[in-house]
Amino acid sequence: MWDDQPMPDQDKVAPPGSEKDRDATSAAATDSREGTGAESAEHGPRLAVFSRYGVASTVLAVISVVALVLGGLIWKSHRDDAAERAYLTRVMQAAADWTGVLINMNSTNIDASLQRLHDATVGDLNTEFDAAIAPYRQVVQKLQAQSRGQVESAAIETVRHDLGARPGAPRDVVTTKLPAMATRTDSVMVVATSIAENVGGKPQTVHWSLRLEMSDVNEKILVSGLESIR
Amino acid sequence: MRNRWRVLAFDLLAPAAVILALVAIGVVLAWPLWWVSVCSVLVLLVVEGVAVNAWLFRRDAVTVGTDDDAPALRLAIVALGAVALCAAVVTAYLQWTLPDRTFKRDTRDVVRVASDLAEALATFTPNAPTASLERATALMVPDRIGAFKDQYAKSVADLSAGKISTQASTLSAGVEALGSSAASVAVILRVVQDEPGKPSTHAAPALRVTVSKSTGTWLVVDVSPLNSR
Repeated sequence: MWDDQPMPDQDKVAPPGSEKDRDATSAAATDSREGTGAESAEHGPRLAVFSRYGVASTVLAVISVVALVLGGLIWKSHRDDAAERAYLTRVMQAAADWTGVLINMNSTNIDASLQRLHDATVGDLNTEFDAAIAPYRQVVQKLQAQSRGQVESAAIETVRHDLGARPGAPRDVVTTKLPAMATRTDSVMVVATSIAENVGGKPQTVHWSLRLEMSDVNEKILVSGLESIR
Repeated sequence: MRNRWRVLAFDLLAPAAVILALVAIGVVLAWPLWWVSVCSVLVLLVVEGVAVNAWLFRRDAVTVGTDDDAPALRLAIVALGAVALCAAVVTAYLQWTLPDRTFKRDTRDVVRVASDLAEALATFTPNAPTASLERATALMVPDRIGAFKDQYAKSVADLSAGKISTQASTLSAGVEALGSSAASVAVILRVVQDEPGKPSTHAAPALRVTVSKSTGTWLVVDVSPLNSR
């Protein structure tokens, strides 16, 4: 609709050769060229010259676009970092919960506990769960005790040195591969203490230092590896 | 067509960019009360400007964007939009990008400091009894060094007398919690103890190392066993 309407200054009578006259009669002139009447009168055809307002506006518009792009990148990067931190917090919580079940296994609840533990595993650990958990099961069954455990610490493992097993001692390691459905796996070190009270015996304190491989499978965090750190 | 582009750029997009930038700054700052107030006033001014512009269009069939007599005003409007957007970007960089980078760097630094200190603390050589101590104290906050030295002297007295040496290496370490000026790191060590005439013994103690940031450097405040019970 603006194309069909004369500009206010087009209705006015302007002296021939004045800036307003040129603006009104030059249909091809853009905003960037206005205000250059004086210069164009002195230096030749005005189409070849951008006004300083036009140039400045264009530069500012480009800066604005760059700022928008940068802002988008900063927002995406921050969102990714925040999501990563939230995810790792979930991973640590899942590892602590799983370990909590493991260290609170009693002879009375061992089957239910093992089922819960098994349900929260994936990959090789899931298929070889019975073998992997056998040492822990043996401890519980041997002690025939009421065990109370507490997770002392859980942390995403950022430093890991495989110093090898003690000479002559078999490594208590469950080797796992990244499960096919898992999108990522993170290592969590969990330190826990449990106290087993035997009937008629002295309470036994068990220190746990575990490395759990936590895998993201369809947005569910499952345990794909279990290893004792020693 | 020229006027359509002008209306789009100067009368619609420019004020929209200003409002977008103001709201973005609010989002970045998590809407503190003072910014809610400032933002409300500024957005209201922009909306008023747009309303006046629309009213002028109805009256004179000209807007700020299409008025050939006001190129400076158009430039000012574009400048306002650009400044607002740049302010939003700078705010986001300062509030989001820098802290995120600092967090990642701190994660590495606190684990390195905690791991180094734990290893120094658990390593002892009778021939050079103060070597590890010096390494450890260099990583500690100054006001804890005295107490730490006393404690260290007591714990290594037996080792020194029995010519027992210990060598510690980090098996595993990770950040338990990390803030802007304090952090807690869990470290699991492999300590090998050699005593003359006896086979080597191994242990894997778990430690909690508390660190704090002073003058831009992470230093250890406290070390305690994780399995304290």
